[in-house]
Amino acid sequence: MNYILRRLLRAMLLLVGVSALCFLFTEMAPGSFFDEMRLNPQISPETIAALRSSYGLDQPLAVRYARWVNAALRADLGYSIAYNAPVAPLLWSRAKNTLLLTTCALAITWLISVPLGVWAASRRGGLVDRAVTLASSFVISVPELVIAVGLLALVVRWRILPVGGMMSADSDALSMLAKLKDVARHLALPAFILILCETSIIVRHVRASVLEVLGATYVQAARGLGMSQSRLLFRHVLPVAANPAISLLGFSLAGLLSGSLIVEVVCGWPGLGPLILEATLSRDLYLVIGGIMFSALFMIGGNFVADMMLIVVDPRIRKEGVDAR
Amino acid sequence: MKLIRLALHVCLFSGLCFAAAPAPEAAKPGEELARLADVSGRYGGHLTIGQRSEPKTLNPVTATDAVSREVIGRLMGDLIEINRASQLTEPALAKSWNISADGRTFTLQLRKGVRFSDGYPFDADDVIFSFNVYMDAAVDSPQRDLLIIDGKPIAVTKLDQYTVRFVLPRPYAAAERLFDGLAILPKHLLEKPYHEGHFAQAWPLNVSAAEIAGLGPFRLKQYVPGQRVVLERNPYYWKVDRENQRLPYLDELVFLFVGTEDAQVMRFEAGETDIVSRLSSENYNLLAHEQSRTGSQLADMGPGLEYNFLLFNLNDLGGKKLDEVAVKQAWFRDLKFRQAINVAVDRQSIVRLVYGSRGAALWGNVGPGNKLWVNQALPHPSQSVETARQLLKSAGYSWNATGQLHDSTGRPVEFSIITSSSNSQRMKMATLLQDDLSRLGMQVHVVPLEFRAMIDRVFQSFDYDAAIMGLGGGDADPNPEMNVWTFNGTSHLWHMGETQPTTGWERELDQLMQQQMVTLDYAKRKQFYDRAQQLIADNLPFIFLGTPNILAGANSRVGNFHPAVLDPYTLWNADELYVRGPLMENAGVR
Repeated sequence: MNYILRRLLRAMLLLVGVSALCFLFTEMAPGSFFDEMRLNPQISPETIAALRSSYGLDQPLAVRYARWVNAALRADLGYSIAYNAPVAPLLWSRAKNTLLLTTCALAITWLISVPLGVWAASRRGGLVDRAVTLASSFVISVPELVIAVGLLALVVRWRILPVGGMMSADSDALSMLAKLKDVARHLALPAFILILCETSIIVRHVRASVLEVLGATYVQAARGLGMSQSRLLFRHVLPVAANPAISLLGFSLAGLLSGSLIVEVVCGWPGLGPLILEATLSRDLYLVIGGIMFSALFMIGGNFVADMMLIVVDPRIRKEGVDAR
Repeated sequence: MKLIRLALHVCLFSGLCFAAAPAPEAAKPGEELARLADVSGRYGGHLTIGQRSEPKTLNPVTATDAVSREVIGRLMGDLIEINRASQLTEPALAKSWNISADGRTFTLQLRKGVRFSDGYPFDADDVIFSFNVYMDAAVDSPQRDLLIIDGKPIAVTKLDQYTVRFVLPRPYAAAERLFDGLAILPKHLLEKPYHEGHFAQAWPLNVSAAEIAGLGPFRLKQYVPGQRVVLERNPYYWKVDRENQRLPYLDELVFLFVGTEDAQVMRFEAGETDIVSRLSSENYNLLAHEQSRTGSQLADMGPGLEYNFLLFNLNDLGGKKLDEVAVKQAWFRDLKFRQAINVAVDRQSIVRLVYGSRGAALWGNVGPGNKLWVNQALPHPSQSVETARQLLKSAGYSWNATGQLHDSTGRPVEFSIITSSSNSQRMKMATLLQDDLSRLGMQVHVVPLEFRAMIDRVFQSFDYDAAIMGLGGGDADPNPEMNVWTFNGTSHLWHMGETQPTTGWERELDQLMQQQMVTLDYAKRKQFYDRAQQLIADNLPFIFLGTPNILAGANSRVGNFHPAVLDPYTLWNADELYVRGPLMENAGVR
């Protein structure tokens, strides 16, 4: 119990740190939201100054931060300057789309990675193993952005999938089933890119940890006793090998909101990615900070969930928690 | 079997829902409609436009970004409009107006019987309310500054239900052009938020369609966050075509948020969008290549109104710790130095390499696209490295053995040009300039900066040597240029925040700009503005480089597609656009 409390406290401190750094960095970035107006000769500097003060941007950093923290404690993340609307609902409307994309991708990634990793490890040095290792090395070494743009170019050339967006413009007229199919078609490309990149990492981790366990003496003993290969792998090896994989799962949960930002921008998926990119470029202060805090919250939450799962799975960590008391 | 039948029913039913755009209302007796005698078309269908980003708001008073204004412009109506094709003003919600002899009093007759898109009648009270909002300091409308002349607001009074009078503090040339873009707001919907003091938050993107109404050809139907805005026909719109059919022809106009220009072109090529504008020459050529297969309509409208230029930092740097820049300012302040650069620039290469030959070279702030105001007498000297070298020599510069240029104190001439990294055209210009100037022995560094970081240096910190920027593009009239060329203007970029003109020519330029602003006679105004253009070209506060052509495209289904060089290039006549050929309701789904 103490262990959990300590974790929670640490998470709170982390959030405070992230938000303070956010404010500091946005303050240090040159330019402000209203700079574009300066280029419009018909807007006077007085109007711009009035706008700045109406958003409280003329206040010192410390005052703004204190106000923001005060509001954030009541779940109010401030106002977007560009949209003239509260940040939280704005973020949530996009976060839903990001979550749809990333949860689909995450589920499929794990469904593929775990069996593939175990399979490759059990046939170490074989054809499957070498193919998996080679392919994953290749995908890992190519930047995500390049993969995304490359695949997008192929899709555009072959016209196999719709490019950009989440549904067709007139999908309102479709039946429920056709709507689902429409979304799935739009989802296919960004999800495929994410799955490809994630799988190549996770499959290697699963393979490595399974290999490690396969070398253990109890496994040799079990083999010697004539246990079948599949029973051995899935009943005895995998649970032990799961430990590092669960930490990894925590990280992928953490990346649910932030891991797909680049892919979303490239593929035009209406999630947080395009929103935050545009907000950053236009210096829409509170929207940027809100987006980062959203991601940080997920990061911390994901790690927390992983920690809890480890407590359940691994007796050694439970022990450590007791010792610390 | 049952399930299939059910699904079929759902399909049919929802299909019907989609088709149910409001039919145009029959004309009411006494309704004063505007008849467009040369417009004809056909009712029905929808067109889709890809936008580079999502609009930010539907509030016409607070919107500042081009994307929001593109959507809002279709929802709202103005008293007087600038016809984008002729570049002249036209009666809109004001069916006529007269101007007093001193040019200060405008009396506008409003159209009778006009209704907002929710059916509510429009009259002078809406006009008075709208201008009160625009001019209210508490609302912080960017348009407010247009209506404050010499620090005094324009006085607006209601004479009767359909007559409004505007009194200007002093004569103001082409004042009727100010009305274009000042949307008339529905008092019945916006009075409450205005009086409660949260007008700026009214009409966000997710406003319910019942709470927003305007006098434009379309009205809001639906907004899907991050994806699209759907507009439907305003059944009460006040314009009719040749056959007295009420416009617009389209059932719906859909704005799709696609991201970048490349994505815009991709979706257009894939047939998912119908109209594309603000094309670069590369993308235009790409589409032209496919034209024989796709049959799309491509339009090269010729040079636009934007002018791109090289700017030297001539600001007062007192109090700023910028000694490096201050030393270089001795060169930049020397007219001969600027003249040398002006003749060393190879503008033809800029047009060829930056604009793919779809653009024009510039020697002044008014380009060939602005037919009413360009000074045709300005000389267009061609590039001459020789002349440039002679100019530098006569100003005391010399070259060392390796060909490097030194000033009279022996300091090598070396400076940097900042430009926005997101504008690939200006980046290319900077590289070409670097090459041109190296022939004079100048060492130039190109420094790409993120857009706002660059603006910050030009407007605030003055921490730069030279910059490549672009201005203009709004209206053809000289008045929007006031703030660039008058000494205390807000975009007086080369010398910001002057308290008085520092040189003789700047004093004369200032006077000319002020004079043209209060002169009502076009010929006289043109004389003043011609002289102003001459002064600018002679004294080179900016080294003008070039202007891109306005390039746009539409697929073969779009009827009455008439792009213009004025913003909004393609949708200014959205009420006249129609769909040719079969009306495919589900064109986007394949």
